Amino acid sequence: MAAIRTLLPVLLAVLPFGLVYGAVAVQEGLTVLQALGFSAAIFAGASQLAALQLMGIGAPLWSVLLTVFALNFRHVLYSASISRHLGAFSGGQKALAFFLLVDPLFGAAEARAAKRRLTPAFYLTYAILMYLSWQLATLAGASFGELIEDPEAFGLDFVLPVYFLGLVMGFRKRGAFYPVAGTSLAVSVVVYWLAGPPWHVSFGGLAGIAVAAAIGPQKRPAEAAREGRAGGAS
Amino acid sequence: MNGEALLSDAGWSTGSIWLVILIGGALTYLTRFGGHILISLLGTIPPRASAALDAVPAAVMTAIVAPVLVSGDWPERVAIIVCAILSLRLPLIAVVVIGTAMVAGARALGS
Repeated sequence: MAAIRTLLPVLLAVLPFGLVYGAVAVQEGLTVLQALGFSAAIFAGASQLAALQLMGIGAPLWSVLLTVFALNFRHVLYSASISRHLGAFSGGQKALAFFLLVDPLFGAAEARAAKRRLTPAFYLTYAILMYLSWQLATLAGASFGELIEDPEAFGLDFVLPVYFLGLVMGFRKRGAFYPVAGTSLAVSVVVYWLAGPPWHVSFGGLAGIAVAAAIGPQKRPAEAAREGRAGGAS
Repeated sequence: MNGEALLSDAGWSTGSIWLVILIGGALTYLTRFGGHILISLLGTIPPRASAALDAVPAAVMTAIVAPVLVSGDWPERVAIIVCAILSLRLPLIAVVVIGTAMVAGARALGS
């Protein structure tokens, strides 16, 4: 099935990340149930780790929550963009789809929607398997944290950057791709250097989007091709 | 285990930890459907906003990848550029496997 095939390489990166999160959470003093609670309710690894770090240094509750919100703010952009492709989804399916909207899923769903109609079957299969994997990895990390070998030795921390790179290159035929990607690249690097992660994602992304808005609508070959063969494709 | 002490020493009770989990989860869900609500409120999307939304995937994902060029070591920097070129021709899964293997190989040789 297409969703599972697309998800498999991502799991190579997500499973070790979940194991690391689970192990760190228990080392910081969370119970296994609390570690799972974070993964189940928030389902966003970077913000879960940041919350743990802040809690560990005794930061106040509001600042932990503000950090979680700020780190996850990029999802507003994802949900604005992806909501245009959810025509085949019922209300309940949309509510679930947004709850499970994580970075790789957003990329995969946009890439899919550029080629054919995005179906609930594709989206939710990917989303639910990813969610369950995250919970299982958290549970395993929290239970057997000490057993983890160094995932970096196998280059697994490099899987997600390459995956996102590959997805980005798939959008290169869209109008204004090079000015948009070039601006995002430059701003992201500068912000990463000045302010550190995770701000580079939101600011770099917003800068590229601003360029696209400034340039305005363009003829898109991919869109034209899709319209040309619409009907049989879905 | 000594971990038990860390969060309670820092002033975190069981109740306040669950508060972070529940409110943090609610705030995150808000960001995940917030964009959808904004788009729905707009009704019809003006062409310029539509062009901006079309740029979201490329803009955000480029921003996610970009720091590899400055934060990684040379194997990562070279690998990401090679992968950018490879992905003009090869399918995604092949590029992921080749890129990961390059980095793992360089680290095995380097250590």
